[in-house]
Order: sequence, then structure tokens, then C-alpha cells
Amino acid sequence: MSTIASPAVTAAPDRMRRGQHKISFSWMVWPAVAFVVLMMVFPLVYAAWISLQDASLGTEPRFVGFENYLNLASDPEFLNAFRVTWVLYGVALALQLALGTWLGIVLNGVKVARHLVRTIAITPFMMPPVVVGMMAIVLLDPSVGIVNWLIGTVGVPPLLWLASPHWVLLSVALVDTWQWAPFVGLIVLGGLQSLPASVFEAAEVDGVIGWRRFVYVTLPLLGPTLLTAAVLRSVDLLRFFDLVFIATRGGPGNASTTMNMYAYQQGFEFSRFGHASAAMLTLSAVVLCTVMVFARLRRSLSY
Amino acid sequence: MTMVQRATAPGRSRKRAGRRGRILALAGVLASLLAGPAAAEGFDWKRYDGQTINLVLTNHPWSNAIRDMAQQFTDKTGIKLRIEILNEDPQRARLNTLLQAKSADIDVYVSLKIREGAVYNKAGWYADIAPMLKDPAQTAPEFRIEDFGAGLIRNETFGGRLTGLPINVEGPLFYWHKDIFAKCNVAVPEYLEDILDAARKIKACDPAINAWAARGVRNAVPYPMAAFVFNSGGGFKSVDGTKPGLCRPESVAGLTLYTDLLKDYGPVGATNHSFPQVVELLGQGKVAMTHESSNEFSNIMKYPGREDDLGVKLLPKGRASGVSQPIGFGWGLSISEYSRRKGPSWTFLQWATSPEVQAVLVDRGVAPSRNSVFAGEGMRAWASQKPVRREWVDAVSEISRRGTGDYASPTDRVPETREIIGRAAQEVVLGQKTPQQAACDADAALLKLQ
Repeated sequence: MSTIASPAVTAAPDRMRRGQHKISFSWMVWPAVAFVVLMMVFPLVYAAWISLQDASLGTEPRFVGFENYLNLASDPEFLNAFRVTWVLYGVALALQLALGTWLGIVLNGVKVARHLVRTIAITPFMMPPVVVGMMAIVLLDPSVGIVNWLIGTVGVPPLLWLASPHWVLLSVALVDTWQWAPFVGLIVLGGLQSLPASVFEAAEVDGVIGWRRFVYVTLPLLGPTLLTAAVLRSVDLLRFFDLVFIATRGGPGNASTTMNMYAYQQGFEFSRFGHASAAMLTLSAVVLCTVMVFARLRRSLSY
Repeated sequence: MTMVQRATAPGRSRKRAGRRGRILALAGVLASLLAGPAAAEGFDWKRYDGQTINLVLTNHPWSNAIRDMAQQFTDKTGIKLRIEILNEDPQRARLNTLLQAKSADIDVYVSLKIREGAVYNKAGWYADIAPMLKDPAQTAPEFRIEDFGAGLIRNETFGGRLTGLPINVEGPLFYWHKDIFAKCNVAVPEYLEDILDAARKIKACDPAINAWAARGVRNAVPYPMAAFVFNSGGGFKSVDGTKPGLCRPESVAGLTLYTDLLKDYGPVGATNHSFPQVVELLGQGKVAMTHESSNEFSNIMKYPGREDDLGVKLLPKGRASGVSQPIGFGWGLSISEYSRRKGPSWTFLQWATSPEVQAVLVDRGVAPSRNSVFAGEGMRAWASQKPVRREWVDAVSEISRRGTGDYASPTDRVPETREIIGRAAQEVVLGQKTPQQAACDADAALLKLQ
């Protein structure tokens, strides 16, 4: 915060200097404050206000306090969406961290055509979600999908994939993992390249090699990096929407209706804006709490 | 003599013509002076030359055809069109976002009045086009509102306000592969109950073919299933019309038949299927029968050979009930209440629903909402080229006469009823509930919407 003062200012009393400093500082911060208020605080406060009202299309909004939140707590559809969100989150995050770590290590070891291999590896997460959803339909549809046709050529009976209430979440998690594990891999690769070589050399001297080196040296050192990847993926996975919207519409039944999908239906299909806002804010709170837990974990690992 | 006559006659007639011309010119000047203001207010297609209007349409053969013809409209009126075509749900989401904020960014949009019309009208999203219709300066003299199907105009009217113009007629139809039926020596179902029997025989005859396909996605199910419920003698309301009626024995029979066909004779994973998959399977010849939208006719006919081996008609009536109640309605083209370009928007509505445009759209498989086009020479000539076209015209004509769009329990929250009824069907197909349980649970949920 040091300032370079002009000779005139140097000659002025301290009080004046402080005042000038304050004025310039406040002007600098105003655009950022205005941006935050307009783009974040206002919509959030407005959503919170709507969530306290019985607001539906074609009716006059009516203040109902926390009734929408209480309705959510007793709505079996929302409770199912809450469960679906966490199951999908758990399965997909575990798969993506495991496969992403493996991919990061593999990419780190690639010596030939390194840039080309890395570019190919990160292609999936550069694809638009709509394309991925359409690919999932084309590949996994039990009747017209190519995967069932392929496994049928070796005598395996058709699997239901996205059409099975029991397997739909795993199918969706697999598709999402295909898309986002490379993203985790890229973060892990960055983490690996920043690790000190001396630690690995010391481990090698002590005879800690192979799998043991990975478990006892690499993984603990990668802890903060993996937590960063987990935070980034958590935010996306808890708000899971596009893939289920395109590929399953939340079905079959409500087997893949996530909280975000539920809120979308309530808001945009059923025009129950108050109820949808309450669901969305609940989801936001869930995301925020999860991120805070990971942030705390990361801090404890960093020290 | 003759020569003189020939010489003098033109001279006289020239003088007479000159006198007549001066009288006519004078009369013309007088007439124009007297009728000057009226002529200035006459309809002019070029009145809004240079303006641009924004259209938000759904992915529908009508929309795609209009996009292809947009330049014709611009040439005729000078008005440019900015067209956005979205799938139904994203289109509704877009309308929700913009119109709820009273945005003037949307001028014209399509909506399904039987589904969302009442709610959109309550929200004040539709401009009343009746005043513009009555204004001779705004409405072309050849535009005749009485030419539209009366039922379709009724669907567009809420509390005396005309909220749009119908752009088509549609409803689900029974399509069947004649060649598969012939190969398996199966008679075309005459009654609703015969469909199950035909499916059984086709499955026994050729297990590689799916005997049946239909929509299985939750909110898409009620549209093709409704006629099964009606033709079985049931309905979506109680007999007195005050409560949900899916749990009535006749309604359960319709639900059972629809779900049995999907479960036992439908393609694998049918609960995730909507019209794209059904059309694909039928078009590829992998399905023997379906109950799919009349709108998809043109898409199905694009597959080689389908114009020759498909038959189409209304869903057969119930043997036990004797009821044949087709589903039928039309999409409506409306002007946003918040549009600042209502004049050019109304000009577009007139052009897009004109007999000339509707006659062209017939070729794209859009059933016209104007009676004159339906009964017109162009339609007859088109239909006479293939038997299946004739069958389609007859079936759609029947839909426009007798079709109903009322297949929800008694509530304004129609989209939610679709979701609940669709889920009941899915639960049966997935074996999670019996038809009776699913229907009665659905009724309990539907009752909460009232």
C-alpha cells in the first residue's frame, strides 16, 4: 500500500496525505463493489426474497415465510433428488479423482509427442455438455445405441444403461467421468511437476519405489492438489444438470433427478418460482458447505 | 361504304373515348378527394418496411418450414425476421425468463394453448390480436378469420381475448407397417383391444422386430396414451368432472394396455424414448406399430420405402366401450404483450397463416388450420399421389373435427399433471407398481394440484 508522493504532497501535512490516499482507494474499489452487488448480491437477495413467497406464474406473489423450505423438507421428490445428488456426487467424484490421478501420472511419464498426447487427453472436457449428452444417447441407448450393438456382436445381451433405474446413475457417472477425469488429470499433472525432485531421490535411496513410493510419498504430497481438484469438481457435480437433462430427463421414473434438475422443473416447467428458489438456495447452501469443508481440509494438509 | 364506316368510326370512338376518359379522370379525382383518408389507411404489406421482429419458436416442422420461407416474407413486406428455434422445454424456459421480466426482446412466439395457454394468459403474456384483426388498416382484406377451424380458434381464445392464431392441427395417429402385417398374416387392428393381439402374433412371427413402440419419457407419455384411456371408456377426470379420474377402472384398463404394449412388445429402454427414437425405429422398419404424432408424418416418410409400406389411421375404438376419442389440437402463434413491434408482428402472423403459405406447408407435412386449404385442390392433389397420404389427410381431418386437447385432471397446472401421469406409466413399465396402484397414487398426487 505504499504510495509515491509528489513533492507537493510531501510538503502537505500527514492528514491531507491520508485523506488523498483514502479518496483514491475508494474510487478504485467502487466498480468492483458495484459489480459484486449487481451481479451477485442482488440476484441472491432477490432469490431469497422470492423463496419466501408463494410465487407462481399468473398469480399475485404472497409472503409465506419459510413455508417453501418446510414443503421441501416434506416433499419426497426433493428428498429423492437430494439422495440422487449425493450418490451421483460420491460415485463420480471417486471415479474422477482415481482415474484423474492415474491419468496425471501417465501424462507425466510420457516422453514422446508429449504435447500431442496431452492435447488429445484433455479434449473431452473441452466438449460442450450438449454434445456429450447427445453422444451418451447415441452410444448408450438400449435400442438404437452403438454400445449394445457392439457387445451384442460378442453375444452379450443388451444392457439398459440409461434406461434402468438401477444403473442410470452409474451410467451417468461414467459418462461424466469420461469427460472430466482428464481435467483432474491436468491438475494432478501440474501438481506432480511442482513436487521437489529431491524428495523422490531420497525415497529412491531409501529403497521406497514403485507402488510404495506412490502411496507414501507421491500421494501425501499431492494431497492439496487433489483437494483443489475435488473442490472444483464438487461444485460442478453437486449442481449436476446438463447431462441428465439431455440424456435421461431425470428418469427413468425419478432415478436420475438431481436437485438442480428438480429445481429447474419446478421453476421453468411448473412455473413455481418460490418453491424453485427455495430449492436452488438449499442447493447453493449444500455446495457452499461442501466447499468450506474441503477448504478447511486443504488448510490442515498445507500446514 | 364499309371503307367510310371504317374511316369515321374510329374517329368518333376516339372522341367518345376522350370524353369518357375526361369524365372518368374527373370522377377519379373527385373519388380520391372524397375517399382520400380511407385509401391512406388501407392495408399495405410494406407498411413496416425495414423493421425487424424476433421470433422464438419450437422445433417443429412448421417452424423449420417458416425459417426456410423467411426471405419470401421479407421480400413481400420488407420486415426482417430473427428466428430462434429451440426444443420445447428450452423454448418454454426462454419465454419464462424473458416474459416474466416483461422483456420486449420477444415479439412473436408459439405456445401450446391446451397446455400453457391458461397460465400464460393469466400472466398477461399474450397480446389481444382482436383489435388489430378488426382494423382494416392493419389486416389484409383477404385474411378471413372464419376460415380457421372453429375449435382451434376457441382454443386460442381466453375470456374473449384472441391470444393467437392456430398454425396447424395435430394429434397422435396409429401407424403400422403393412408389409410386416402381411408377412406375419396379421389383420390390421379394428378395435383397440386387437392391438395387443396383433403385437403378440408379430412377436411370435418375427422376434427380431419390435411389435410396438411409443413414447415412454415421463412428460411425453400422456399425449399418445390419452386416446388409450379415452377409447377404453375412461378419462382423466372423475365422472362428475370435479376430481382426477385415472383410477377409474376404465382408465386403468387404458393405462394397462398402453404400458403392457410398451413393456412386453416395445423396444428395450422405452422409458427413455420420445418421438425422435420412435420415428427413427419406425422409419428404419424396426417397429411394426406405433401411436405417434401426425406431425411426424413427413419425417417418417423421408425414410426410403415408407410411403409404400406404411398405413395410418386414428387409434381404433374400444371394443367394449365403443368409444373413439382422438386427441387433437394446434399450436398457436402469438404476439407478446411486451412487444414494441406489434404492427409488424401482426403482419407476420397474417402472412404465416395465409392460405398460400399453409398450402406450401402441406408439402412439409404440416396439417393446415384453415378449412379452405384442407379442402383445397392442392391438398387433394398432394393426397392423391399415395394411399398413405390420403389416409393421413382423412385421419387429420377427423382429428380437426372431433379431437380434444383436454386430457388432464381438473387443474390449471397442466404441465405437472403430465409429469405425474407419465410417471405412473413409467412405474408400471418398470414393474415398480401395478397399473391400479400407479393410477390411484397418481390420482392422489393430481388431487393436490387442484
